[in-house]
Amino acid sequence: MKVVCVIPAYNEAKTLPKVLENLKDKVDEIIIVDDCSTDQTLEVIKNQVVTTLFHIVNRGQGAALKTGTIYALEQGADIIVHFDADGQFRAEDIATVIKPIQEGRAEIVFGSRFIDNTTKMPWFKEKIIMPLGRLVNKLLFNIRTTDPQSGFRAFSRQAAWQIDWQQDAMAHCSEILLAATESGLPMVEVPITVLYKNFGQRFGGGLKILRDLFIAKMNN
Amino acid sequence: MIQQLIALVVVLAILARLGWQFYKEQIPKSQFILWIVFWFIAGLSVIFIKSIDQLANHLGFSSSGIQLLLYLAILIILYFIFSFRLKIARLEKDITTLTRHLALTSEVKKSKDVD
Repeated sequence: MKVVCVIPAYNEAKTLPKVLENLKDKVDEIIIVDDCSTDQTLEVIKNQVVTTLFHIVNRGQGAALKTGTIYALEQGADIIVHFDADGQFRAEDIATVIKPIQEGRAEIVFGSRFIDNTTKMPWFKEKIIMPLGRLVNKLLFNIRTTDPQSGFRAFSRQAAWQIDWQQDAMAHCSEILLAATESGLPMVEVPITVLYKNFGQRFGGGLKILRDLFIAKMNN
Repeated sequence: MIQQLIALVVVLAILARLGWQFYKEQIPKSQFILWIVFWFIAGLSVIFIKSIDQLANHLGFSSSGIQLLLYLAILIILYFIFSFRLKIARLEKDITTLTRHLALTSEVKKSKDVD
């Protein structure tokens, strides 16, 4: 099975080389979607063994992931993994994330920071923001995953064709979770460890996600 | 009375400017009609302010008709803000589609396998 890793990158020149080095023997192909970075991101990946796609306008993580996913499908990927460029995900967790698809147990796999207790998350995020996110997901969208904003995920080829998302910014996480839930495709969560280097999505970010989802709903 | 006259002059000036902009093809017909209707209603509200005072009293507002108009104006402004937001969201979607198309067809893309 051809495993392709899609990495959206926006100003990740500092972390990307290390991320790529760790990923080398974990996947068959790496696709980086440079989302119009203004730092040296393009330069640092120039001599790397990767496919680079370039957004001429900054469109956000969700948009970059979709561009990379479409390209991966065109290249005949059997499993597509979404991975971050900031070095917070561990390359060794890829094996865990793709395993249910390889074994035919699932078509969509979400990495979760809440299945085991290996992720050291900032207190406010763990105790306030994430439970609120879970509650909103459950009440508004009937999503019952343990991780309300999982960015580490894998799709089988069939699932990647079927699951679509329109959100360009951070709301794509909720949209993908919702689309996966509604698709009826077999879906599982597996434990992953996230190495926090910064706080990441804040409370205001959560409100922006809700706003974006609401506007998208009104436009449809 | 003087306040009403000043308000009417302002409304007429805006209507004249709208007509000029439409004549010069600076705004589309749909926007021209929308704003003409809006300012025409504003002008009528100024002329029939006494009737609006009575309407405000009838509806149970404790103050004058001007305040009722202000409430309506705020509602209209909020509606416009929201509709502009939706329009911007649609434009953003179009920009993403174009950006993605360019990324997927660009020749600067280089492809190598890890193995």
